[in-house]
Amino acid sequence: MRRLLITSTITLLGLTLVLGFGYPLLVTGLSALFFRHQAEGSLVYRGGRLVGSSLLGQSFADSKGNPLPRYFQPRPSDAGTGYDGADSGASNLGPSNALLIGFVPGVNTVGLNGRRSATNPFATPADPACVPTDPAGTPVTSPTPGQRYARTPDGSYVCDPDTVPERAIDYRRFNGLTADALVPIDAVTASGSGLDPDISVQNALDQAPRVARARHLQVRQVIGLVHRYTSGAQLGFLGEPTVNVLDLNLALDGPR
Amino acid sequence: MSASGWEQLLFIVAVTAVLAPVLGRYLAATFRGSSATPHSATPHSATPHSATPHSATPHSAPGDRVFLPVERLVYRSLNIDPESSWTWRAYALAVLAFGLVSTLLLYLILRLQGWLPLNPSHAPGMSPLLSFNTAISFITGTDWQAYEGETAASYFAQMGGLVVAQFTAAAIGLSVALAVVRGIAGTARTIGNFWVDLTRNLVRVFVPLSVLGALVLVSLGAVQNFSGFRTATTLAGGTQQIPGGPVSSMEVIKLLGTNGGSFYGAGGAHPFENPNGFSNMFDLLLVIVLPFAIALMFGRLIGRPRQGYAIVAVMALIFLGHTVVSMQAEAHGNHLLPATVSQVATADNPGGYLEGKEMRFGAAGSALMTVGTMGTTAGATDSALDSYTPVGGAGAFVGILLGEVSPGGDGGGLYSILVFALLAVFIAGLMVGRTPEFLGKKVRATQMKLIVAYALTIPIVVLVFGSVSLVLRAGTQSILNNGFHGLTEVTYAFASVANNNGSAFAGLSANTPWYDVTLGLVMLVGRFGPIVLALAIAGSLAGARVHASTRATLDTSGPTFVVFLLGVVVIVGGLIYFPMLILGPIGERIVG
Repeated sequence: MRRLLITSTITLLGLTLVLGFGYPLLVTGLSALFFRHQAEGSLVYRGGRLVGSSLLGQSFADSKGNPLPRYFQPRPSDAGTGYDGADSGASNLGPSNALLIGFVPGVNTVGLNGRRSATNPFATPADPACVPTDPAGTPVTSPTPGQRYARTPDGSYVCDPDTVPERAIDYRRFNGLTADALVPIDAVTASGSGLDPDISVQNALDQAPRVARARHLQVRQVIGLVHRYTSGAQLGFLGEPTVNVLDLNLALDGPR
Repeated sequence: MSASGWEQLLFIVAVTAVLAPVLGRYLAATFRGSSATPHSATPHSATPHSATPHSATPHSAPGDRVFLPVERLVYRSLNIDPESSWTWRAYALAVLAFGLVSTLLLYLILRLQGWLPLNPSHAPGMSPLLSFNTAISFITGTDWQAYEGETAASYFAQMGGLVVAQFTAAAIGLSVALAVVRGIAGTARTIGNFWVDLTRNLVRVFVPLSVLGALVLVSLGAVQNFSGFRTATTLAGGTQQIPGGPVSSMEVIKLLGTNGGSFYGAGGAHPFENPNGFSNMFDLLLVIVLPFAIALMFGRLIGRPRQGYAIVAVMALIFLGHTVVSMQAEAHGNHLLPATVSQVATADNPGGYLEGKEMRFGAAGSALMTVGTMGTTAGATDSALDSYTPVGGAGAFVGILLGEVSPGGDGGGLYSILVFALLAVFIAGLMVGRTPEFLGKKVRATQMKLIVAYALTIPIVVLVFGSVSLVLRAGTQSILNNGFHGLTEVTYAFASVANNNGSAFAGLSANTPWYDVTLGLVMLVGRFGPIVLALAIAGSLAGARVHASTRATLDTSGPTFVVFLLGVVVIVGGLIYFPMLILGPIGERIVG
């Protein structure tokens, strides 16, 4: 047994040197030699300044968190407070979780008394799936008697803005679409990494008129850019066609 | 499902069908020429394809000129005789001793990483319980991760600790499989030498393939540097931390070694690990080609290639079954969303259910990669399983519950399905009233006791620990989603770690004392229990008399046996866990 443990230890220390350090360094060296740009993270510089990575999504909102109309907007993100490169991750909300899909009668709807309910007592004209928030803005998925809710001046409940139905309402309002316009799924769902750099072509086309208005450009020109920055699937079928948001927005800003 | 979903599935099937036989042939030629040689029951039936330029002497294998000097150096420095071969007890003891020493060293590295070099994000040492959980997790090839890779692990720990563990976990799996093959099919009483197997697996399989694979990943956009976080000034005027790290070198052994331990928190969904649709499919191939090749290697090593094909057929049928169901479910979408949210595929919108999924992979491509690895011990995800639809998530769950034989971990898939095969011939023997035989060796009471113990070890720990967690507050307070889905979060965690898969319904807050300790213990039992039992079964068959096959012998390589074995896998795996599925995804689907 002693001999076995000694052999194990020597083997392990040798492997740690060779596989733990030799191998990663070899790969790093070869990568730096042949694929420097990729190995460094596909970094994008503008005027000598690092502005991001073309593989990582980033936020195009102002310091208060409001999306900037002149930029194409990425998908919702659950990486930290949104597109945090140090905290990648997903919402992990299940497909019937009220925090994601809102209160759907017959599935997860809870009444004012905290019991299951056949109708959503918090429904607003715009959002029948409304999940209310408390005055601090925290969603209330398990109402209890005596719970206080945030209300708008007209008396309707303030809904949690991060459910799919609310995101769809915001998306239509932000992009000037009609109240029954179809919203692309990627625009109202968060990605697995929270750093998804891409949106669907439909999502980009829906945003194009708003971006054109904000930049005093012709919609035609912006749509042309969308198509120019659409990448097809690899070999035509591996993956899906996408529009890289950072690349597209950089092209809109023009060389600087 | 969109056309690209079917095309990607077809691509995976076609490429695997081409590469697995090539690799299987290479493996067979490699391991026939070492003390790994199972003294085959039918030594002269090696197929002409396996002939190599050096095959004149029994001890030559492809690439000897490069690999042999390295191996000889290792044997000399370890002072071991490469020609010696051990009993199953000695072999199992070596695996356990090596596992023990590896766990201790990894534990120390994780505890001390705060003081060790190569720590640009200033990660502090992990807590004792988290280190315990993480060390066991990587040594057992489970790679359950209760920490956030970006900020909680240093480059030193990721490279010197976690990468090394992923290499050895893979090599141990393949070593045990080789030993089991020698016992089940060979005529010698001994089953090989662990140090020789470990060395040859690493030198001839895992290291060369990893270097190649890592370079392919980097060329596609995966990162490989030592830069730490860089701060970018975004177009909107904010800042973004851009992570770095030796990612590709870890990513490749995570996949090739069917481990699943990612550099970053988001794992295979992170664009720096898995940058595009091509890398997504490349990742899946890295996971599944080798286990299929190992099954084909088995057929060649025992001189009965048809036996290899039969096993591959069972693996492939299960793989296709649960993967296609999940792909369909995710591409179909979540019917609880408002009708005005478009989940239907059009020319400009691939559609499907994209919560927790990346745009570049699409719904079907995400499910293909994620669920495709669930029949292996990798459990490497490119999307958030917790957000899958009930049916899509069930597809992943079933891959794990069936014991991960589709196609299984490197080596683990083979020895698991061989135990299932022994069980199948026993049941078939009962039906027709003959003493069951597999590869000419009679399966008797000694073997059956061990086989039943093997089949029950994992279900017992999953069901016991899963149930206890559901009645204790320490267990239930970690649940994120309510109801059926929350129950699945807990039962999935135990099934996943017991089978050394390591994927998660990640809403569960797993870094708590209760889960760190119980999941750690379950991983140990789920890894070393089956290894010791499989070696014991092999040891009990080693040197047993080989009977010539007669007309009455059950043909274990024909379509009848394929269907029969499939049935045994589904009944043994499926029925034991059926209540868990009813109260989890099935209930969720019916009520939703």
